[in-house]
Amino acid sequence: MSTVPPGQDEPGIGEPANRTRLAWTRTAIALAALGAAMLRASVVAGVIVIALSIPVWAAVRRIGPAPDALSSLAALRLVTATVVLVAAAALVIAFLGHGPGSLSELLHGR
Amino acid sequence: MTDAGRGEPARAGPDGAPAHEGAESEPDPRFTLANERTFLAWSRTALALVAAGLGIVQLLPPFHGVPFGRRVLGVPLIILGAVIAVAAFWEMTRNQRAMRRGQPLPRSIIPRLLAGTIAGIAALAAAVVLLSAAR
Repeated sequence: MSTVPPGQDEPGIGEPANRTRLAWTRTAIALAALGAAMLRASVVAGVIVIALSIPVWAAVRRIGPAPDALSSLAALRLVTATVVLVAAAALVIAFLGHGPGSLSELLHGR
Repeated sequence: MTDAGRGEPARAGPDGAPAHEGAESEPDPRFTLANERTFLAWSRTALALVAAGLGIVQLLPPFHGVPFGRRVLGVPLIILGAVIAVAAFWEMTRNQRAMRRGQPLPRSIIPRLLAGTIAGIAALAAAVVLLSAAR
């Protein structure tokens, strides 16, 4: 890989790197929005999901001016784990939340 | 890429080709970034599926005469979201490995998985609505 001056993109990399940074930002916003929506059902779960969107947003900083590909899988693993965690929380809310047909209703015989 | 796709990459030859048979070399960073964006796009799709499933369970009015109707429709969407998130990570590492080895990219299973499951849930939704209307 050629040496590039600090703060400058390698030729041909600037636009793809910008698009990738924007994709990370969109993902973080989507995560935060879902966390905000979950606040209605469960404040704790919502706050946790919103908090998890912060490291996802911070992953944008990982993409330097001259990326030498994915320097670490940690950020990508974090996104995957977060989505799975959010899905697990959503399942808990779906089954243990209140309302007709919920498990809590069946268990309490209401 | 140093660890996506596992294995320590070998240095490429002067013409960009792998230095020896079976060796791995870093692909063009633009391809790696595109691979990463595809993974992120699938992750957002997974988040949207989870949100849709949660919305169905929490916000939709109950189906008359079908007490589990909302959960029957919402829970598969949430599970599908989790499955797509894991599958997207798996495909991202698999594609990266293929690019490093100079092999053609394998076909993605996620679009078929998504289309099949959503079609099934749509059929299920129609059945729940009809059942609710009949009662």
